[in-house]
Amino acid sequence: MDKRESMWDVYLRKGMSRRSFVKSCVALTSLMGLSTDQVSKVVEAAEKKPLPVVVWIHGHECTGCDESFIRSGAPLASDLVLSQIALEYDHLLAAASGEPFEAHLEETINKYKGQYILCVEGAVCTKDNGVYCMSGGKPFIETLQHAAHNAAAVIAYGTCAASGGIQAAKPNPTGSSGISHFTGKTPVVNVPGCPPIPEVMTGVVMHVALFGTVPPLDNEGRPKQFYGNRIHDTCYRRPFFDAGMFAERFDDAGAKAGWCLYKLGCRGPETYNSCGNLRWFQGMSYPIQSGAPCIGCSNAHFWDEDPMTTRMPEYGPLGNVDKIGAALAVGTAAGVAVHGAMSVIQKQKREAEEHEKE
Amino acid sequence: MKHVVVDPITRIEGHLRVEVQVDEATGKVTDAISSGTAWRGLELVMKDRDPRDAWAYIQRICGVCTTAHALGSVRAVEDALGIAIPKNANYIRNIMAATLTVQDHIVHFYHLHALDWVSPVEALAADAIATANLQNTLLGAYKLPFRAPNTSTTEAYEHDFPAATPQYFEQIKGKVKAIVESGQLGIFSANWWDHPDYKLLPPEVHLLAVAHYLEMLDKQRELVTPHVIFGGKNPHPHYVVGGMPCSISLDDGNAPVNTARLEIVDRAINMGRSLVNNYYLPDLLAIGAAYVKAGRVDGGGMAKTCVLGYGSYPIEGYTGTSDGGFFKNLLIRCNGVVEDFGKGLAAAKFTEVTAEDVTTENITESVDHAWYEYPAGKKDLHPWEGVTAPKFTGPKEGTETNWKALNESGKYSWLKTPKWKGKLCEVGPLARYIIIYTKAKKGLLPEPSWAEQMMLDQLDAVSKVLGLAPEVWLPTMVGRTAARALDAQLNAEINKFFFDKLIANIKSGDTKVANSDKWDINTWPKECKGVGIYEAPRGALSHYIHIKDGKTFNYQCIVPTTWNACPRDDNAGNGAYEMAMKDTQVKVPDKPLEIVKVVRSFDPCMACATHMFNAKGEKINVITTDPYSGTRVDK
Repeated sequence: MDKRESMWDVYLRKGMSRRSFVKSCVALTSLMGLSTDQVSKVVEAAEKKPLPVVVWIHGHECTGCDESFIRSGAPLASDLVLSQIALEYDHLLAAASGEPFEAHLEETINKYKGQYILCVEGAVCTKDNGVYCMSGGKPFIETLQHAAHNAAAVIAYGTCAASGGIQAAKPNPTGSSGISHFTGKTPVVNVPGCPPIPEVMTGVVMHVALFGTVPPLDNEGRPKQFYGNRIHDTCYRRPFFDAGMFAERFDDAGAKAGWCLYKLGCRGPETYNSCGNLRWFQGMSYPIQSGAPCIGCSNAHFWDEDPMTTRMPEYGPLGNVDKIGAALAVGTAAGVAVHGAMSVIQKQKREAEEHEKE
Repeated sequence: MKHVVVDPITRIEGHLRVEVQVDEATGKVTDAISSGTAWRGLELVMKDRDPRDAWAYIQRICGVCTTAHALGSVRAVEDALGIAIPKNANYIRNIMAATLTVQDHIVHFYHLHALDWVSPVEALAADAIATANLQNTLLGAYKLPFRAPNTSTTEAYEHDFPAATPQYFEQIKGKVKAIVESGQLGIFSANWWDHPDYKLLPPEVHLLAVAHYLEMLDKQRELVTPHVIFGGKNPHPHYVVGGMPCSISLDDGNAPVNTARLEIVDRAINMGRSLVNNYYLPDLLAIGAAYVKAGRVDGGGMAKTCVLGYGSYPIEGYTGTSDGGFFKNLLIRCNGVVEDFGKGLAAAKFTEVTAEDVTTENITESVDHAWYEYPAGKKDLHPWEGVTAPKFTGPKEGTETNWKALNESGKYSWLKTPKWKGKLCEVGPLARYIIIYTKAKKGLLPEPSWAEQMMLDQLDAVSKVLGLAPEVWLPTMVGRTAARALDAQLNAEINKFFFDKLIANIKSGDTKVANSDKWDINTWPKECKGVGIYEAPRGALSHYIHIKDGKTFNYQCIVPTTWNACPRDDNAGNGAYEMAMKDTQVKVPDKPLEIVKVVRSFDPCMACATHMFNAKGEKINVITTDPYSGTRVDK
């Protein structure tokens, strides 16, 4: 690969129109959560930036993130993989296997030192020299450190890569953890979720590809544009919460009418993700819309906060949940206060429980 | 003799390594080992969790078969607690399962397996006009018009059919040419594109298949929308013990399921039927016929000697699994074992698999060649008394963290070796077809269901195309890949069948979708246990739960990939991957494409196998419960 093409070069090569290129840029602008006055910047970046080289490696995981990635609708995964990035290494989609494939990884790392994007799916196993997660005859931890130290940026896809995920749940038999302790000075973008929403995954890689920088991050390393709201903040059932109308059981009249699932254990009020606004499959649905309480899958260590369907406590000084609904109905200010208090109480209760267990 | 290593065998959760010995003079593989190179310890993580949440945890075994493990889990818990699910929940779960199967098989064939058979490089030599003509010929010759007995038709016409114009293929060729010439090969990098196997197909078949590879990459996402409607998302849709969380109401606009939502499901189901009929089967038959014509009827391995199935699709719900209820009204009664199918129908032997098999020591696991040790004197253990004391012994050559060659005479894999009555078995779509076919031909299937009859008709039709009897072409590498395509068509129809049933039942006024009678832990017995079984896209799956004091005391699974990818057993011999590799000819030992192809014909997915084992030492007692050694606790 001698000349690295930009997205615009690819459009030219394929004989696609300037109009369709600009349309793609407009779509990308809104996808990345940028305002419309940023379109020209996106166009400029897409014209000049060469196709970014992407290396995608797998630790302890279930491939759910890869599967989610190929479900992306805008951009379509095919467009991303064949026109907008050069995906040089990925266990799921690559044609090659074995030695030539491993040699290609090494070649890619050397050739694009400091320039490629490293996507990591899965946790890193640290126990016993990492022998519980081997690939190409080497522990994954070696591949991770080598690939991360030479990358321009690391994207930690999914809760496993971001914070260890299911295998790191108690008692964490393999000593698994999130990857950020092993990536050296290379910037890391955490994209939690089990799995993350497809368009969140493609949106993050496109941001890095087009702007050459990682997107604005919050204090947990997550892109603010996708993790800035709690699911509760934009939930379509939120008005029922505010009005104190709750489903009491799966399949009761309230559940059918779309009332709030809080009493069934919904973690929407403490989970930062885009399920409420982006939803899945471009607005088609998300767990709460399908009648299932949010399990908080983008929260670090949420697996150890069970049981899922009964875990939310009463609100301490504020009494039971029915009264909360009534209190919230009083006004926005009260609502904000209650939600703030609720998060604190929730945290305190959990810490107290932890303390008890120890 | 040449020692050839392929690591990683890339694909779903690619922690798979194989090593083969090739006799360079004959190209014959004389020995082969298959090694799972990771474990995650999820069963230990399950300890002390709320059984009502078990599905969510254990679903994370695999991001591909998410529904398979979630259903295995809720079925196990419901079996333990004696919960019967409502009719609608059974229909919806079956739709979820059939949806998974259709989508998973399509993705496997086009995106995870096709590049072992077809090459973008070869496609460049194709003539676009000839390719368009070929497309029309294939649609005429290889469309197999099998349908479920429908009660409703919502399609005006078939919306999804392959373009068959020279312009279309010229455009695809141009796209591929640009990628190849740019040198920016991306996912096509570093493969053995000069391997002679790629010359087995004419360039037009290469171009056709590459075009469909690209199309299916976009279409596969639309197939899983039923998971998004009923389960909120995909991968990892949501489930609930006692039924489904998606309440149904024809009165409420906010209802998870109402008419508008069902229309989305209907569209996806029709699309699945269309894609398997118009793309998958014709493409598969074009490739398969060329291979069979070239004499490639190898790579069958264990399919010739022993296959196992658990049966699938309860038509109208069931009382439980360990009481045998599950086996009583199955749409596909492939619960059985067929031995010696490769010797012809007369010699083939069928044995029924019943509740007794899945709940007793007819099913065991050994660790002769797995990095674990059993207590002294213990050779095989039932999963409920499974002991997993890790004993990593390193490779034969190289170091612990830099492997050169694994030790086939010692331990070499993180997978255990499951056995049925002391025998190793192959599982998967191929096993299901061999079982139904053998049962029918031996007169053991007196009144086939429409689905079983469809399986027999499919086999007849393909046998005509290939000019060979099923017992010749089925137990081969091509047969394994073909059976998956037939399974996709079958499941697309099953999807429609259960959708029709769901609509009819809602129409009758029944909207119940969850049974919450035993939701409260206080209604549970102090101790109970259950089994959940399921025919996953990759084969027979069983989940085992032991509940004590309202918590998960023990959780075990035997998964399709451990059946197929297991290391050898000193008494029972080699596992299915190993047998199939030994059955394969390798033309260029340095470029063992045939080995990769035969392993990928199983749809390797190591994710389900890598969860299996618990941590070492002190915690072993956690999962060593033996429900048969003490007082049996009845639920």
